Amino acid sequence: MADGIDPLELMPVSRMARPLRALLRGWAGVVLGFLYLPIAFMVLFSFGESRTPGLPFRGPTLHWYQEMLSNGVLMEAVWTSIQLAAVATTLSTLIGTMAAFPLVRSGFRSAGAARIVFTLPIMLPGALIGIALLIFFRRALGVDLSFWTVVMGHIVFTMPFVVLIVSARLQGFDRNLEWAAADLGASPARAMRHVVLPLIAPAIVAGALISVTLSIDEFVITFFTVGPQSTLPTYIYTQIKFGVTPEVNAVATVLLLGTVLLLGLAWAAAGQARRLSRIFGRRRPGGGK
Amino acid sequence: MNDWYRDVSRRRFLQVSAVAGAAVALGGVAAACTTGASKKTGTFNWMTWSDHYYDTQLDEIKKAADIGTNISELADNAEGFAKLKEVTGQLDMLSGDALWVPKNFDEGLVEAFDINSLAVSKQLYSIAREFEIWTKPAGYLGYPFGWSPIQIAYNPKFVSPAPDSWEVLLDPKYKGRIVVENQPVEVVAYMAKLAGIKDPYNMTDAELAQAKEALLRLKPNILKFAQQNTDTVAALVSEEAWLATSNLGAEDRVKDAGGSDVVTFIPKEGTIGWMDAEMIVKGGKNHDLIMPFLELAEQKEYIAENFIKYGRPLFNEGAYKILVDKGEQERADRYLYNKPETVLTMTLKGPGVSTDAAIRVFNEVFGA
Amino acid sequence: MVDPIQASRQPRARSNLTRGWPFLPAGVVLLVLFLLPMTVMVAFSLWRTNSDLDVVPDWTLDNYIYFFSEGTYVRTFLKTLIMAAAVTAAGIATALPFAYFLVRYVGRRWQRIVLLAVIVPFWTSYLLRAYAWQAILGEKGALNQFLMGIGLIDEPSRLFVYNDLSVWLVLLYVYFPFAALALYTALEKFDFNQLNAAQDLGARPDQAFRRILLPQIRPGVITACIFVFVPILGEFLTPTLVGGAQGALIANLIINFFRGLQYTTMAAFSFVIAGFVIVVLVIFRRYLRVEDVVARG
Repeated sequence: MADGIDPLELMPVSRMARPLRALLRGWAGVVLGFLYLPIAFMVLFSFGESRTPGLPFRGPTLHWYQEMLSNGVLMEAVWTSIQLAAVATTLSTLIGTMAAFPLVRSGFRSAGAARIVFTLPIMLPGALIGIALLIFFRRALGVDLSFWTVVMGHIVFTMPFVVLIVSARLQGFDRNLEWAAADLGASPARAMRHVVLPLIAPAIVAGALISVTLSIDEFVITFFTVGPQSTLPTYIYTQIKFGVTPEVNAVATVLLLGTVLLLGLAWAAAGQARRLSRIFGRRRPGGGK
Repeated sequence: MNDWYRDVSRRRFLQVSAVAGAAVALGGVAAACTTGASKKTGTFNWMTWSDHYYDTQLDEIKKAADIGTNISELADNAEGFAKLKEVTGQLDMLSGDALWVPKNFDEGLVEAFDINSLAVSKQLYSIAREFEIWTKPAGYLGYPFGWSPIQIAYNPKFVSPAPDSWEVLLDPKYKGRIVVENQPVEVVAYMAKLAGIKDPYNMTDAELAQAKEALLRLKPNILKFAQQNTDTVAALVSEEAWLATSNLGAEDRVKDAGGSDVVTFIPKEGTIGWMDAEMIVKGGKNHDLIMPFLELAEQKEYIAENFIKYGRPLFNEGAYKILVDKGEQERADRYLYNKPETVLTMTLKGPGVSTDAAIRVFNEVFGA
Repeated sequence: MVDPIQASRQPRARSNLTRGWPFLPAGVVLLVLFLLPMTVMVAFSLWRTNSDLDVVPDWTLDNYIYFFSEGTYVRTFLKTLIMAAAVTAAGIATALPFAYFLVRYVGRRWQRIVLLAVIVPFWTSYLLRAYAWQAILGEKGALNQFLMGIGLIDEPSRLFVYNDLSVWLVLLYVYFPFAALALYTALEKFDFNQLNAAQDLGARPDQAFRRILLPQIRPGVITACIFVFVPILGEFLTPTLVGGAQGALIANLIINFFRGLQYTTMAAFSFVIAGFVIVVLVIFRRYLRVEDVVARG
């Protein structure tokens, strides 16, 4: 569907289309409200006076933001978590996407079984994977725990999601497009870059988004595979004895704002880039919708 | 037409694999080098709870003696023990509770040391240097830090007459109004205390049956299991819960969060509790930094500040005097700071023979 | 069913190695970082933990037998299956219209924004969001205050939290983005002109939906189901935080063993659960077929 062009204007549609669209739009609004309701409260509590985040709300105060900034361990933990999520997601998405192709296409007799094996890490509790990796790293491989051992731990349980979602998308992929590209003289690599990848891009992006989400709040596997570093989830989940303070809410709020800002900038930049490329007449790759 | 990857010849494939393999190997070497470098810069690795230190303290020590710390968080004694068992020398110091300290020692993971060789240890209450469970022929097993009994907190608006026993948790009047911690072995231990069982962590089958019977009566009264102290406080503040088990300080936290006045007491049958210490890991890479660090970090000024920040009794007697001077005496006394001998009346947390059995009992009662 | 034209385009057979090499990194990760460590865990599940909390290599099936002999575990597992199914059904039902709206009626650039808007809240700590839900659903929480404010109820209800309903609701909340992303991915490649063509040929909208759209997005729906159902079998944090005393799901019981250093029991129970899931996946493998069917024209 092209940008901003409403199908209802272009095609003849049934009488039900307009009320249906209004209904669906309302539903989307309800869903987004449902998703953000707890977020609103989470942000609210970061401005509360009490040491325990919750109702009743008294405040507002910036005290916890100040506390957060002076908490060196917490700041380091946040930074480590961001790096961890970035690296693990990149590798996981790369490896997972690559694996999806032979899984779907090359007619492995046991592709179905392979898919089940890929689902195994999702079936088993993170605690089991964490302990198993700890013992494996230390006793079988004899390596010290470090940032990279955590990355590997995260890849183990995020990669299946990427594989599953990309391979679902690859199923029933219209090979005629690739063959047409070949007929027009494109090498397989070129066809991959300009035909296949853009069309499965939503699946790759979805897989990456899921990986980040899983990695950024993963506690158990991280605890058992991390070296002498702190991550944000381990910081938060270990406040058992005396409870979390709204410092953590402050961190979450700042991260949320930061992410939104970053994505907003990226979106604006992408918009500019596209505008520029239109002006300079370079054709965009990819076909289809 | 071929798929893009089918065109790869075997030779090309091997070339790429070789390059990839070299990259991975290089990365591994780089990682190993960085771990080695930490020794020279005077940083050691400490796995602990976040209330054992505060930022300014660590910064000042770094400036004064160039000893830095890599903190990794500790959730639970059991998980800390399991991790230490595998990583051994990669950690230099581990914090632990009560009977977990000798457990770590028995497994050869931490070492005993002469506590009197640390000048700062004179600031401790003498009782803290002489705990039997932490004393071995080879020396003392940990540098004592803090402690707390488990208390019952209740809201006098809804709970009367004023309770003094574990029995109050089983009172059908309080159905669905009680919050306890999500720690199966401890909850079973509370019930064991109620039943008058002497050693809740090493129970016989008959004693377990008694505890289970009490647990069944507790079940309908429980509103929820608290994952963290935050849950407990929030439930008391909102008055969804009228009774709760908690470490010291619940009444202050509830008040601070806008709740009504809550009363705390130690049940007459005796209670469970913990006391923690810093243990020196055997064969830690930065082992030599530990004693100098403790000499600085355990100074009474820091401990007093720590109390003000986190609010539970600590074993440093010198710090008590500072707290009195700072006007914190009322709070310190309420938290039994000056009565470290209370620790001897508590049943101390730790691994035991009946750990597995207690978990099974708990699951049987609270599972579907 | 081999299309001769297509067949002529296939390369002559090369060795499996060069054909499947992109699979290698993932295969290595799976083998070295997962299957190999898991063999140790399988061994654990057949050993026992002694009273010193050490794992002792005494071979025994006791751990597995215990799962079935003590009724609470099977009952809790059934309860978990029902909860997972209920959340999956609700997840698909709520995410499908959402994804449909996104793909059909929203411009491409805005689609990306909305998707990010859906997922970004989940990049915050789960614990904090769960506390927020407690504040919303609790006795003095926002929901009760709202309902009292509009006069629907007279006094606060304790129905909303610390029971199975709140577990279901919060699980739905947690897993919604996974379902939404999987369904979006499936819907996005669907050519909606087919629906119009069908209606032109006289089909009713619901017929077109059922017989044209649904079969084509089936892989995506299956993926969404897997993304929601399977992880819920391992969920223990949500039941603890909002489930109350009776809220325990099977993973809670398993984690209790974990916290008590009973790794042998924990491993055995985990493999029982995993075994069950594998059996289900094998039985329904027809629907999960991954190999490419002949490309549609």
